[in-house]
Amino acid sequence: MSNVILFNLTTVLFGVASALYLGALYAKNGKIAVFGTWTCILAAVVSTAALGVRWYESYQMGIGRIPVTNLYESLVFFAWSVNLFYLIVERKYANRTFGAFVMPIAFFTMVFAVYNDSSIQPLVPALQSYWLHIHVITCFVGYAAFAVSAGAALMYLLKSKQEAAKINVGIVGLLPPCKTLDDLIYRAIIWGFPFLTAGIITGAAWANYAWGTYWSWDPKETWSLIVWLVYAAFLHARVTRGWYGTRAAILSITGFASTVFCYLGVNLVLSGLHSYGG
Amino acid sequence: MEAVSEVRTNGVPPVVPAGRTLSPIDQVWDFFISVKLAIFTLIILAIASIFGTIVEQNQAPEKYHQIYEDWAFALMNRINLFDMYHSWWFLALLVLFTVNLTCCTIDRFPKMLKVVRNPKTKLDGNLEKTLSLSDRWKKKGTLSDWAAKYSLALSASFAKPKVTEEGGEIHLYAETGVASRFGVYVTHLSIVIIFIGAILGNVLGFKSYVNIPDGEEASHLDTRGGKKHIDLPFSVRNNKFWLETYPSGQPKKYASDLSVIENGREVVRKTITVNDPLQYKGIWFYQSSYGQEGEATALVSVRRPDGSTMGDLSLAPNEPVPIDGYGTIQGVKYSPNLQGRGPALQVVVEKPGKPAVNVVLFQQQPDQDHQRKDALVFSFGGLDSKMFTGLQVAKDPGVNIVWLGCALMVIGIVMAFFLSHQRVWVRLAQGQDGRVEVALAGSASRNRLAFEKKFEKIQTGVKAVGQ
Repeated sequence: MSNVILFNLTTVLFGVASALYLGALYAKNGKIAVFGTWTCILAAVVSTAALGVRWYESYQMGIGRIPVTNLYESLVFFAWSVNLFYLIVERKYANRTFGAFVMPIAFFTMVFAVYNDSSIQPLVPALQSYWLHIHVITCFVGYAAFAVSAGAALMYLLKSKQEAAKINVGIVGLLPPCKTLDDLIYRAIIWGFPFLTAGIITGAAWANYAWGTYWSWDPKETWSLIVWLVYAAFLHARVTRGWYGTRAAILSITGFASTVFCYLGVNLVLSGLHSYGG
Repeated sequence: MEAVSEVRTNGVPPVVPAGRTLSPIDQVWDFFISVKLAIFTLIILAIASIFGTIVEQNQAPEKYHQIYEDWAFALMNRINLFDMYHSWWFLALLVLFTVNLTCCTIDRFPKMLKVVRNPKTKLDGNLEKTLSLSDRWKKKGTLSDWAAKYSLALSASFAKPKVTEEGGEIHLYAETGVASRFGVYVTHLSIVIIFIGAILGNVLGFKSYVNIPDGEEASHLDTRGGKKHIDLPFSVRNNKFWLETYPSGQPKKYASDLSVIENGREVVRKTITVNDPLQYKGIWFYQSSYGQEGEATALVSVRRPDGSTMGDLSLAPNEPVPIDGYGTIQGVKYSPNLQGRGPALQVVVEKPGKPAVNVVLFQQQPDQDHQRKDALVFSFGGLDSKMFTGLQVAKDPGVNIVWLGCALMVIGIVMAFFLSHQRVWVRLAQGQDGRVEVALAGSASRNRLAFEKKFEKIQTGVKAVGQ
């Protein structure tokens, strides 16, 4: 399958980009990071092509559907979204240090995907719905935004200690100021939150159409609600004195950890209706 | 803090004049309108929800006894951990959550509305000091002349301003994105609407399940747990259930051909599949499961050696079926693939006064039985299994209210986070040196960085007028 070859190439490119960004930080050399950016752009092209080829190949197999229907496809779509989201952030904030904290997330997601079944399978009856596509896409765009936010939150926690001590040394010294990081943590979440909300709602609408109940406290549903609650808490914390800054950063990381559990943990650890992968 | 920020949630209790204490009612009120309570409730709800995903919900007690020690079972049962999302304490948390956001709305909405309805249209000295984006300059000419020119410039680069004259000063005030102020209230309202829809669905609706064998109809339903019975004002007939598979053997389609029978007449007929239910009079039927009804029977055709047909027999397992003037035939064993020759049925043929004979009938060789040179020739026509379809039956009069709430929630969130209430003021006053003193200021409720750039453009545009 040529799509899998392209996805494998994407994995390598994400790995190279992560290494370049980390290397740039370690060597304190901004020029290396420029190569990281170009690697990310190349990876965006290759992974977009891979998604297109996979879509086309599914038609050739007589299955014909958007590649967002199983664990492998959701993982590569998530990594694709993270990469794209990252490139937008890098351009908007004109700072390449984010790459060292965000691109490894895309890289490890792809590495994990490689260990999963990459074949194109026909859809079981429960998945034959138009809701499937919109549900998966909205959820994973949201997840990607949360990944970017968590990367920035990690940077914030590293940076805030130095800023409190009013020093600016070492690798941490290269990171953007806390004010910028705090802004990115927040901005990524206000993009992710409406997508997650839409993802939960489309999931509920689909469940109602397939099973006659829009909410059944299934572990997957419940965990998506937990993620939503954590980010709702974050959004309220952001406007409350004494809760922004470090506590908001911790909430962002907690939110992403819950997202990862909702995405993978529920399927691996808990049992429920939502056992299709992702 | 800029002038209007106090209507945004910041959870700071009102300042109490020294020497006075808050009455208990005010203290309770302040507790319920605080954002800290909201953060606390959201986090507690999140943590509590985790338990119900670790402990499987609504299982049979025997199953829990297998997993947990007796004391653990007793404790968990006591705190409703086996049906925790319907327990009194979880519902109490949801009530606290709802009361909190309702009180916040009652507290803040009128203030916000007041600010939106009566905006500060005049840029006085105090307001100017609180705004980080501001500029001052002087112009030769008359007040009204410049006011007209700046009014046009603002309309072109931002929004049409409201003009107020007071105390020899002319004030221009323009705003965009007022809707942004309503976003948070729309979102909070949407949550209440979803809860109302959910409660309505729980009180007025039902969820049930029914198995209907092929060719039969049902109008009587047992709701979960079999505690309640529902009689539908019509009945549903399962004409036929079938399933299709992909070449790989994976399921492709589960389908039931259903008819709604009302007053003895078929009023609706539809083939439902997993994502395509049937709806009649607000009651929905969903394809949920299937199974085999009773044991499968084997179809056996009976002919005379000359080829003339005598009819078909349906053989239940191990039950001899008599044939007039011949004897009995009994189905003994079915093999899906015997000796690599396809499906086969083993039968025992017994005639009066003769020993029983074992005969194997292969489905793919209907004429094989001729070799027995008997009075009758049997052939196996396949298994006939009667299926039943498992239907989820639901009525939920609150569901459309829930969808309304969901739509409002997305709209509210987008309004709150992606719109920004942006305001620009211009003040023109006659200076002592005979020139016109101009002050320009602006503010935005969110995304201030982006507004700074926009303000710079407005500033350049306005200052360039009449040069």
